[in-house]
Amino acid sequence: MKKESFGKILLGKWDTKTIVGVAIGIALFAVLMVYGSITVFTNTNLSLAMLVPIIVGGLFGPLPAALACGLGNVLADLIGGWGFWFDWSIGNALLGFIVGSLKLYGANIDEGVFDVKHMVIYAILAVLGNVLAFGFVTPIFTKLIFGGELEISIAQGWVAAVSNSTVLLVAGIPILKALAARNARGTNLTKE
Amino acid sequence: MKNLNIINLTKGETFLHQLTGTTKVRLFAVLMVYVMMSFDLPIILPLFVFSIISIISLKPHWKTIQPLIFFVVFLNVLNIVLYWLANPLCGLEYTGDQTILFAYTDYLIVTRGTLWFLSIRLLKMLTAFSTSLAFIMSITPSELAAGLTNIGFPYKLGSIVEIAFRYIPDISRDYENIAVSMQCRGLELDAKKTKPIERLKQMVIILIPLIVTSFDRVGNISNAMDLRGFGKGKKRSYYSEYPERRNDKIFKLIYCLIALFCAYYIISGFITPRVPKMWIYWRCL
Repeated sequence: MKKESFGKILLGKWDTKTIVGVAIGIALFAVLMVYGSITVFTNTNLSLAMLVPIIVGGLFGPLPAALACGLGNVLADLIGGWGFWFDWSIGNALLGFIVGSLKLYGANIDEGVFDVKHMVIYAILAVLGNVLAFGFVTPIFTKLIFGGELEISIAQGWVAAVSNSTVLLVAGIPILKALAARNARGTNLTKE
Repeated sequence: MKNLNIINLTKGETFLHQLTGTTKVRLFAVLMVYVMMSFDLPIILPLFVFSIISIISLKPHWKTIQPLIFFVVFLNVLNIVLYWLANPLCGLEYTGDQTILFAYTDYLIVTRGTLWFLSIRLLKMLTAFSTSLAFIMSITPSELAAGLTNIGFPYKLGSIVEIAFRYIPDISRDYENIAVSMQCRGLELDAKKTKPIERLKQMVIILIPLIVTSFDRVGNISNAMDLRGFGKGKKRSYYSEYPERRNDKIFKLIYCLIALFCAYYIISGFITPRVPKMWIYWRCL
């Protein structure tokens, strides 16, 4: 296996495959946001869509994951019909970047590499990314774009951060494990 | 398939449908800046009226957009009430008015400034929504891609948006098929009968096949695109984009004027901060 440099993984390779992958990720994100979510609080759902960026990130890299997450949220707003919340899309893009950085610390879903060590890093990053994205960045953008009060935006942000972290931990780890196990078939063969 | 038919895939017949994608995208971008920059009623109200007129002129299917409108209005009103409950004095920095109208307890009071601020905020949210609705109903995905490219985004971004729009119906159909077949095997998906965490676990069971089928497509689609030479040139043209017509030129003038006004308003607000920060009717009486 050829080792790729850190910067190259960070930016991702923008060939046709990545473009289609991101597009499918966006479509999946939008569909899951509309169908696969369980309402907790106003504007906030226990949404399975949050799992899309980790898969796009695992397959293509963090920047495609950020794009899939941010644009996916815009598109979900378009078809779901709950108005437009660009502040949340920006927060989502940041979160996508952070949780989509699986390849940066060595987990590789394509090759079936996903160990306990990766699980721990993934869990820490998921929680940290949520707190950063929805606890701080989204309220600031809400303030900038719509004006209004900071306190309730922060309250909504924290609810979102908690519910997203729950989804990413409870559902994310089993899915990553299942996908890694599925892709791991045949990787113990050596070329002669 | 609910709600998915507000995006139309073919060009409509009405006046706004017939504009080019570039005009629509630029107008929308300028109007978004316009609605976000202030809390002044004289600025927001005309756009609200115009966006309602343009929605009506697009001759939408009222049956599909009615529940959407009700839902958005309900959600925004709920948000406003929550804002008020979180801080009954909110908007004070905008209006600087503390005349008390009602007082239920020491905490729950309604001041004149807060009432005004919250109603303008509601109007602002609804204007942003109605403008976006008019935009979405008038544009097709292909025109959106062409418009984004013309603003200066790389055309690969336009292609991403286009492909995503194309595959939303496919993926939602797959989702429904998988959900139904899992229910046949005894998976309980009814919201009333299961707890949220249980539902989350069951959703995962649906999700794994959905992810696998969706991402299996990537290879096929990207091979097909590669074979047709996608991504070889630095630029590309769009079938849906054509030279400007007379109406496009009129709209070009309009959005240029609005953009100039926005620039003037924002810059003048920086140089001499307005006191109070929003237009208040009782100051003009």
